[in-house]
Amino acid sequence: MALLQTENLSYIYGEGTPFCVTALDKVNIEIEKGDIIAVIGQTGSGKSTLMQLLNGLLKPTSGRVLLDGEDIRSSKAKKLETRFRVGLCFQYPEYQLFENTVYEDIAFGPKNMELSDAEVDKRVRDAAKYVGIPESAFKTHPFDLSGGEKRRVAIAGVISMEPEILILDEPTSGLDPKGREQILSLIKNYRDRTGKTVIVVSHSMNDVAKIASRVIVMYQSKVLMTGTVDEVFEQSEKLTEIGLSVPQITEVFTKLHTLGYPVSEKVYTTKQAFLEIKRILNRGKDNA
Amino acid sequence: MLKDITIGQYFPLNSVIHRLDPRVKLLYTFVFIIMIVVANNFVALAFCVACALIVTFVSKVPLKTVIKGLKPIIFIIVITSLLQIIYVKTGVTLVSFWKIRITSGGLLEALFLTFRISFLIVMSTMLTYTTSPTSMTNGLDRTFAPLSKIGIDFNIITMIMTIALRFIPTLIDEVDKIISAQKSRGANFESGSIFKRAKMLIPLFVPLLFNATRRAYELAYAMTCRCYNGGKGKTTMNALKYKKGDWLVTVLTFAFVAGVIVLNIKFGEYNAKFAFNSAV
Repeated sequence: MALLQTENLSYIYGEGTPFCVTALDKVNIEIEKGDIIAVIGQTGSGKSTLMQLLNGLLKPTSGRVLLDGEDIRSSKAKKLETRFRVGLCFQYPEYQLFENTVYEDIAFGPKNMELSDAEVDKRVRDAAKYVGIPESAFKTHPFDLSGGEKRRVAIAGVISMEPEILILDEPTSGLDPKGREQILSLIKNYRDRTGKTVIVVSHSMNDVAKIASRVIVMYQSKVLMTGTVDEVFEQSEKLTEIGLSVPQITEVFTKLHTLGYPVSEKVYTTKQAFLEIKRILNRGKDNA
Repeated sequence: MLKDITIGQYFPLNSVIHRLDPRVKLLYTFVFIIMIVVANNFVALAFCVACALIVTFVSKVPLKTVIKGLKPIIFIIVITSLLQIIYVKTGVTLVSFWKIRITSGGLLEALFLTFRISFLIVMSTMLTYTTSPTSMTNGLDRTFAPLSKIGIDFNIITMIMTIALRFIPTLIDEVDKIISAQKSRGANFESGSIFKRAKMLIPLFVPLLFNATRRAYELAYAMTCRCYNGGKGKTTMNALKYKKGDWLVTVLTFAFVAGVIVLNIKFGEYNAKFAFNSAV
């Protein structure tokens, strides 16, 4: 049984008004424990709506979300439990900071869970460590931090609740390359050290290739493809058709391949590219 | 929950009323409001109500939506009705207990005011339902343009209005988003003691005010970059022009005003009510 699962999940905004829009149309996905899942798709394809349904913030127009095989809206207790077990970090989370110090802001979630003071303290320190916020910054006002730092504090605010499933909606948008790198490595770190599940919504194929174990492609309110990174990026034509792309490095290697160089097309990250070039150079040496 | 606010909302449809010149709609809504206040008997009031219903029908906006727009003023209607019932002591006494005496005159007066206030609001919401914010401010701008001759620059006021209207949906979205985000962190906005709930406003309002200020600065810079320096001499892309329909509505409005005045004189103040009273 999948940890988190959706059954014919549909959501319509503003039903019965002239502004009515179908955001999700009969979506069925399964999420297993320990996966890092990337959800990709164009703006307006229903990604963010899906994420808000997964932790019960939105009420499905029809269909169900199952956590451990049980409908998350079955009871009030289950609803609250879901909020804490499925942690959702919104896009541009830095605009939701409000406390006077970094420490208090990270502690907001755990405090709402009514944990003991000692436990709250431990979780704040752990979360800060994951996102790379030093303890010396705990007393700083969150508005005094840089954009990338604010983003990391906001993510820590969700991680500190230690959710079993961490959902991040476009965690790297609007950050510089260094900030992106930091966020990506902290996501991977979190998964590797805790074994928890992470769902990342992203526009950046480069990011997806770097961290995801499985990819869900959304198109016009529906799930178009699901599969491993290889399986999805293999279908580069289909991706281009719906306005998405493959990672830049993959494009380079596909071009090289069509030009007749003996390289594999299945290269999705710079690291893989490095290994592939090394393999070919070494083979050249052996022949000589 | 915030999506329920309908006052000041635009309801995009394609009807004769939607296509009217905003100046015409503004002015005649104002005329209607004056006339419904001037109407001093049930017949004249019924005439006003009928006209308002015809306008609603022609505009194609569902009656249900229009009535929903009355929700926020139910409180005012109830209070004024109660005051009428308690203080008006004309006509036949129906019930009396303790120090309160409910009379037929009081009840009729309450009924009269309920209709007057409701349809005053119905007509004003019709204005916003059928006029997009841009054309509304455009209309205001043109209507009050002559004021610049006496040194009042109405351009700036309409610009402020445009910006304020423009940001209402943005801020509503923002509030929704912040509530969702804080709920994801376990914040509980719906239950708990008053003190606890008041405390929950901090995680909502601090980010909201911060973001609103940030947006205001960004917009100010963006406007400065595009050489905005106040409204003087500003022209519009879509200059307003009166069309056939606008003249027709003008004629109809004159007929309406005349109708209310005639009915007022014919039946006189409270005449209809007294007729009703003696029947009771």
